[in-house]
Amino acid sequence: MASTATRESQTPITLGHFKVSLALSAALLSLSFVPRVQENATLQLSFWGAIFSLLVWQGWLLLEAHKRGESFGFTVLLRPQHYVQAMVQCSVYVYWGFFWRPVYDHAWLILAQILFAYAFDMLLSWSRRRNYTLGFGPVPIIFSINLFLWFRDDWFYLQFLMLALGFLGKEYVRWNREGRNVHIFNPSAFALGLFSVILISTGTTGLTWGQEIASTLTLAPNIYTYLFLVGLIVMYFFSITLVAGMAAITLLGFSALYSATTGVPYFLDSEIPAAVFLGLHLLITDPSTSPRTPMGKLLFGILYGLGVFGLYTLLGMLGAPTFYDKLLCVPLLNLSVIAIDNTVRSINSDSLTNVWKQSWFGGRGNLAHMGIWIVVFIAMSALGKMDGRHTGDSVPFWEQACAEGRSNSCARVEQLYATYCNDNAGWACNELGAFYREGQYTDANEQMALTYFSQACELKFQAGCVNLLDDTSVTRSEPKELDLRLMLREGGLNLMQLPSGELYARACEHNWAFACDRSGSFL
Amino acid sequence: MSKKQSRAATDVKTNSSDTISTAPAKPAVPGRTVGFVIMSVLTVFVAVFMQVQSRNLGNTDTSAAYTEELEGFRSDLWYLPDDELLGFVAIPAGSFTMGSNPALDRMAYENERWSRTQRQGQPLLPLYYIAKFETTRAQFAAFVADSGIAQQAIANSESLPGDLPVTQVNWPDALAYTRWLDEQLRASSDTPAELKAFLESGARVTLPNEAEWEKAARGEDGRVFPWGSLPNTNMANIASDRPLPVGSIECDECAYGLSDMSGNVWELTRSVLKDYPFSDEIDRDNLNAEQLYVMRGGSYSDQANNARAAVRGAVDPGVRNDTIGFRVVITQ
Repeated sequence: MASTATRESQTPITLGHFKVSLALSAALLSLSFVPRVQENATLQLSFWGAIFSLLVWQGWLLLEAHKRGESFGFTVLLRPQHYVQAMVQCSVYVYWGFFWRPVYDHAWLILAQILFAYAFDMLLSWSRRRNYTLGFGPVPIIFSINLFLWFRDDWFYLQFLMLALGFLGKEYVRWNREGRNVHIFNPSAFALGLFSVILISTGTTGLTWGQEIASTLTLAPNIYTYLFLVGLIVMYFFSITLVAGMAAITLLGFSALYSATTGVPYFLDSEIPAAVFLGLHLLITDPSTSPRTPMGKLLFGILYGLGVFGLYTLLGMLGAPTFYDKLLCVPLLNLSVIAIDNTVRSINSDSLTNVWKQSWFGGRGNLAHMGIWIVVFIAMSALGKMDGRHTGDSVPFWEQACAEGRSNSCARVEQLYATYCNDNAGWACNELGAFYREGQYTDANEQMALTYFSQACELKFQAGCVNLLDDTSVTRSEPKELDLRLMLREGGLNLMQLPSGELYARACEHNWAFACDRSGSFL
Repeated sequence: MSKKQSRAATDVKTNSSDTISTAPAKPAVPGRTVGFVIMSVLTVFVAVFMQVQSRNLGNTDTSAAYTEELEGFRSDLWYLPDDELLGFVAIPAGSFTMGSNPALDRMAYENERWSRTQRQGQPLLPLYYIAKFETTRAQFAAFVADSGIAQQAIANSESLPGDLPVTQVNWPDALAYTRWLDEQLRASSDTPAELKAFLESGARVTLPNEAEWEKAARGEDGRVFPWGSLPNTNMANIASDRPLPVGSIECDECAYGLSDMSGNVWELTRSVLKDYPFSDEIDRDNLNAEQLYVMRGGSYSDQANNARAAVRGAVDPGVRNDTIGFRVVITQ
């Protein structure tokens, strides 16, 4: 060994392909000096921490490789499911960000995550002593994660950790499926699911933009139609229509059933929340972590729909943010893939298991599925179940339903008040305070009531100030113009410049009785 | 594994004669155990870290609280003044002159006129108690540390003396402090019996209304300033660049011996700004209007005309700035 060591010490260490990973680290370092990153010290430190970790890892790998006389390289493989998916996701960012600017502000951070992801994935492959498959693989993973969850600047180091766990999960959590050793979980869904559980259990959702992301997709007009159209591209190329379509149809079906039974919509302001609609097109459709048989895909889609439907209520009952519904069930479904495949195989009927496959559609099964999905979407749009006004957008509707004691509607009223209060609508803060002071539909809580009355008062909503002075009764008044501009944004319009007459007309359409009288005075 | 990698991955081994063999061999691919353990440890670390973050998010900021002794104040009783009535002064029941008579006060503003036919009014007030000093930073910090409310009032200025009047508080913040102090005084065994009896008779700690504030400032004789009818820059912190610790300027001539009723910081009241005659009724008829709340006494940055006892400043309830503070009353 001594002579070996001598030989090694005489051989200079060459960087070889490590130049690529070093270049990625250098690019990440240069990004840490852009103004967007420099404006927050913790954010910049997060970058430097990530770079330091990558450099230490590279240094260790380089020495190990030198000691062993190994070198690692690349295998270039450009898979359409990566770059097509990435382009579709990118287009969603562009469209959504046009109507919600924080998305564009986040662009530098997404770029940084892509650099980090490539470097991390590369080093992980080399640590496993194999060439790195260079392609677009990390891009859709990063895009997918950031379409649902990103950490605020003060906690951005957790975003790098989330990515790291996603890639580690892809590498280390595997099973044998149909004779091949493959990863169990969709990498982005694994990271999102894991962090969702941690965020829910620690009550730290506030460290992320998750709630805002889920609720601002609808700021982009006709977002459902947009997602539907770009979803068709993915469906066409990768035959995921059965999964996405069945998930949507299941959700729509159960929503309709719930609505017919209770008289109120299941989801607050849509038949399928826009973020769920996005998720069923772009989050659950990874071919390597979903079933391969048509019947399996069908079951997978149905189970996703059921999972979101059930989790929405479950999370609400636990007092957790409901936007996690679409994230939590994906890892569970990934785990059930083999069971689904086995179930399908156990069905001893070729005609049934192949019913969606070849014979009925002349070998063009996916196009036929897409055709059905297009018809379903057009029908739902025509019925006003997608873009456009939704029954649940109306606060008075929910107030009336609450007064009538309809299922879950008082909780929805409270949720709506809280959302609008958070948006600085003084009227909503005052109503929320009244909700807690009166204790008619929830447990009375004077401390909470005072908190919300204070907020209303600060927002110059005079009834809130009166309620602070007199704690023996509740004073209410009608929403002011600014309140209406904040509360009637469904469909995504910015109503700040809307003429008063049109604003009151819009409020009248949303069942605000006082606004109907007032809109007439602007004619 | 690629051909290139296979070629590169050579196993170097030493035989008995110390010759080196470089026969190509497949490198040992590391097992997944170590990686899986690292991943699991990382996950647990994140979970624990976020649990700690969760506690930090939910915790009240007690670092804002003052802990040192302040001369003249009781650190064991929320830094209230160290006297028999914890800094409260009784204002006896009776009427007083409210508003301004321009014939006697050339600096009077129009909104100080009582009515079309009457320059000044004579409201009758029952007994009440008013704080001798403006509410201090130390007092407010005790409230913040206990409740977690209104932390911004004392954030980033921990080095400032605790006996400065608190500023950067808005109207709901001030009211929240009074509610909190009310609870403390009712619950404490150290509360003077006189105050406790008054509280138990139905009184409460709150902000003064305009009349309570004005009577406490000018007494019953209608003087223009707390000390008399002529301006005197030695009697009040006005026309300066900063507030002074409460009670810095002695004023034995002032009505009821209160400090800083003129200047130092504007003092919020619980009254909405509306034309006289004064009424303490809560205005429920103008809920759609954006009402302003009256503040009294002027601040260190004002001139004498704004530091008169009858001056009526007003502010949005959400406004916080460096010139606005408050003092409390115990009233029915």
